[in-house]
Amino acid sequence: MTTALTGAGAAHAGPLLDVRELRTSFVTDDGIVGAVDGVSFQLGQGKTLGIVGESGCGKSVTNLSIMGLNPKTARVSGQALFRGEDLLKASPARLREIRGGEIAMIFQDPMTSLNPVHKIGDQIVEAVLLHNDVSKQEARSRALEGLKEVGIPQAERRLDDYPHQFSGGMRQRVMIAMALVNDPAVLIADEPTTALDVTTQAQILALMKKLQDDHGTAIVMITHDLGVVAEVADDIVVMYAARVVEQANVEDLFERPQHPYAWGLLGSLPRLGADVDRLVQIPGQPPSLLRPPNGCRFSPRCPHAFSRCRQEDPRLMPVTDAPEHLQACFLDEETKAREAVKTLTAAAA
Amino acid sequence: MNDDILVVENLRKHFPVARGIIFKKQVGAVKAVDDVSFTVHRGETLGVVGESGCGKSTMARCIMRLLDPTEGTIVFDGRDITRLSRAEMRPVRRDMMMIFQDPYASLNPRKRVGFIVGEALLIHEKLTDAQIKRRVQELLEVVGLSPEHYNRFPHEFSGGQRQRIGIARALALSPKLIVCDEPVSALDVSVQAQILNLLKDLQREFNLTYVFIAHDLNVVRYISDRVMVMYLGKMAEFGNARDLYETPKHPYTGALLSAVPVPDPKLGRARRQIVLEGDVPNPINPPSGCVFHPRCPRFKAGVCDVEDPPPLAHGDGHVVKCYYPLERWPMTADEMHRRPDRVEEPAAV
Amino acid sequence: MFQYIIRRLLWAVVIFAAVTVITYIIFFVIPADPAALAAGKSATPEFVAQVRHFLHLDRSIPVQYFYFVKNLIVHGSLGTSYVNRRSVDTIVGEAAPVTASLVFGGAILWLAIAVPIGILSALKPRSLADRMTMVFVLIGISLPVVWIGLILQWAIGFKLGWLPNAGYCDVINPPVGATCGGVVDWARHMVLPWIVFAILFAAIYARMVRSNVMDTLGEDYVRTARAKGAPERIVLIKHVLRNAMLPVVTMLGMDIAVALGGAIFTESIFGLPGLGRTAVQGLDNFDLPEVMGVVVFATLCVIIFGLLVDILYGFIDPRIRFE
Repeated sequence: MTTALTGAGAAHAGPLLDVRELRTSFVTDDGIVGAVDGVSFQLGQGKTLGIVGESGCGKSVTNLSIMGLNPKTARVSGQALFRGEDLLKASPARLREIRGGEIAMIFQDPMTSLNPVHKIGDQIVEAVLLHNDVSKQEARSRALEGLKEVGIPQAERRLDDYPHQFSGGMRQRVMIAMALVNDPAVLIADEPTTALDVTTQAQILALMKKLQDDHGTAIVMITHDLGVVAEVADDIVVMYAARVVEQANVEDLFERPQHPYAWGLLGSLPRLGADVDRLVQIPGQPPSLLRPPNGCRFSPRCPHAFSRCRQEDPRLMPVTDAPEHLQACFLDEETKAREAVKTLTAAAA
Repeated sequence: MNDDILVVENLRKHFPVARGIIFKKQVGAVKAVDDVSFTVHRGETLGVVGESGCGKSTMARCIMRLLDPTEGTIVFDGRDITRLSRAEMRPVRRDMMMIFQDPYASLNPRKRVGFIVGEALLIHEKLTDAQIKRRVQELLEVVGLSPEHYNRFPHEFSGGQRQRIGIARALALSPKLIVCDEPVSALDVSVQAQILNLLKDLQREFNLTYVFIAHDLNVVRYISDRVMVMYLGKMAEFGNARDLYETPKHPYTGALLSAVPVPDPKLGRARRQIVLEGDVPNPINPPSGCVFHPRCPRFKAGVCDVEDPPPLAHGDGHVVKCYYPLERWPMTADEMHRRPDRVEEPAAV
Repeated sequence: MFQYIIRRLLWAVVIFAAVTVITYIIFFVIPADPAALAAGKSATPEFVAQVRHFLHLDRSIPVQYFYFVKNLIVHGSLGTSYVNRRSVDTIVGEAAPVTASLVFGGAILWLAIAVPIGILSALKPRSLADRMTMVFVLIGISLPVVWIGLILQWAIGFKLGWLPNAGYCDVINPPVGATCGGVVDWARHMVLPWIVFAILFAAIYARMVRSNVMDTLGEDYVRTARAKGAPERIVLIKHVLRNAMLPVVTMLGMDIAVALGGAIFTESIFGLPGLGRTAVQGLDNFDLPEVMGVVVFATLCVIIFGLLVDILYGFIDPRIRFE
């Protein structure tokens, strides 16, 4: 077991994580399901990337593919470059080194993500010993430090407790401690607060921000909640039906959204401050990934769709005056600008 | 005819906890709902919001008499239904219906849609099969489904469509009151807006009254006329949606509002969130006095931990149970700490 | 925990009483006269009446039951056989080790077969190995124990002569005049019975292990373990098996407990003088004390094993501990 490169300390030219044309499909009894269809994005050192989309859009599968955690029925192609090394071509041994060591992952449901018959201290110690050649005492003291850092009171005693003795918020803190104990460069968080109450969510998000500041960890935040990404993300990737439909830094996405799906999402959110009579609704539901529609996958539900949309696949293209802002839609720029403004004013009403 | 369709007074629901070798003795109780009082006007939507363990679902079931209240009274449409027997409740059940959270679990997978929606008609009305079928098809159209779906099974529908079936089922007997228990929590954001709009439309068309229970403050704001905030079985605050959201008076309401992520990066990051410490306490052993005092930024020893605060009126039906209600909004946690010294005199409620 | 044990023991008394009462009642519904059988073929009616009085058979059922319970609690004895006046304690004491050898040996064998097969099948679902396992399971469950026993007895015991057909050899204390004794003889005589006894259970357990392991492999905490970089070996042993085996432990305890009451078919085929055979003989002779002896012993086994399994479960699964 090699010692993990200390977190964000290792310098590397270019993005920390560079995913290119990732495709993942599953062979099922009914046919081939294309869960991820040509997804690309970059994650910079110490930054937070938000991946937003609804259930079934492929956001979770994308990250499981990067980590090599898909079931055996998955076929993955493309590239996932971590510090220049392609994870999709890495040997199983190398992947195991990276998982939990340089790239860590936390999941949605803290109730079921921890092994119920092992003490949490032992589970964190396991994470340490898998990646560091240290004694058990040393591993245990690192686990203790980790628990203290995430704000578990009476950490020393709690090391010997079992998962069911913690509340949901505390369990998620334990998961975070376990993920960060080896000071990874990247933390992938798959809907980490979806199962938590809103006040607990605020605590956990604040904790993650603080830990990111202290350790310089880059975070991939997967969620369906636009409010959460607005709060924590530097850049955002919007996914729909296994594809990326829009990609921008957080201010650009919320101030000048360019894709009809983004307008629909932003318009359909009820808001605290707004007294709206009717929410914008996106008709229909997301398409089946078994037999996706021709052309733009959003076109069946899009109020602006025209003939080209149903025949051609729109590719991700940069916006004219903001080359970092990518979007996949055939509409002309004036219409997009107009609709963006409409969405924002309706939301702020 | 009374303007209040539902009057709940001093409702308590305690689940006993018993211990003992042979003869079990009650040693305590889970105070799921502890002294809650409110009214619902005919034709309005009362939103009930709170986090896990606050008792909102239990309260909903008590109102529907799916659970028997331990204490208190429930007056529905002028009639005291608190202690009615099952036989006596039967005719009452025509007028109060419920919509549930999980669209996958709340429909019997072995029954066809036609039966699911029409079962209530079979029980309560003397109609021919043809008449029932016609009425069911009408209802399906009203909720936005096709009448041809009459013969299909639930698994052939998406989550949003299943929820529509649940709504059609609730409307079958033209009820006066519908209790919605987290009806959109399990749905994707884009579908959520469809269902919320549908509920609003149906309310207008059929003059329905809703008690809408949710943990999502945004959703509650959008759909409610008046709102009740619950914490650990008790009411914290009650008022018009606008008043409560724009000028909350209870520190817990303030913390809740502050914790909700805002889908606007500039706004969201500019504000200073109030992050509460600790977890929601155990309802078997609630704190003394005001149940929120261990986590409250305004806590004053000797006042808040002695006796449960009486409800104070702040004009226009805005009621708060707090010794130190917030003077203004927004406030940060630090500002909350600096409370005025005097305790507000209770005004008659 | 203490309260829990006390409660279980109190229930044990209730169960014990219920089982023995019901056995008594069933016995007396059968139209037969144990006194006549006990007295022998050439007994005079007066003698039969004497025997009846001596055995308390002329008293009412509750009174007989009372004598039985008094005997058990005060004297710690299960009475004496109607037929041969031997102490039932001795009868049971001789038969129990035979059944125990069969059951425990069989249990080890069936676990040794079922657990590895179940795990391998679960790891490679729908593979050739998995399908073969499922065929084995189907055969094992479908073939009657009696048939398997007789076939093996004939083929291996009689035709091939590799192993003895029948009979039991005491390991420690062969009685005087016995034709065999000692560990080797004992084992040779037990091999076929063990196989026959174990096959059905092995099939059932293989299927159960397979489905438990498959379910556990899909759990979130297994995904977390992989996400931490654990090698598959560790994921399997530390995370999957510990959880997947919990239900197996419970089932094992109950199956052994029930089998200790007498594996009737196997014992009969191979002529093993265990509790099953004893009970069958007792029924044939309407020998109530003998039957009651086996019933009492079997009930005690079920109760004790049940309690042990529950306590053990509490040690393995921390969630139960903190009730």
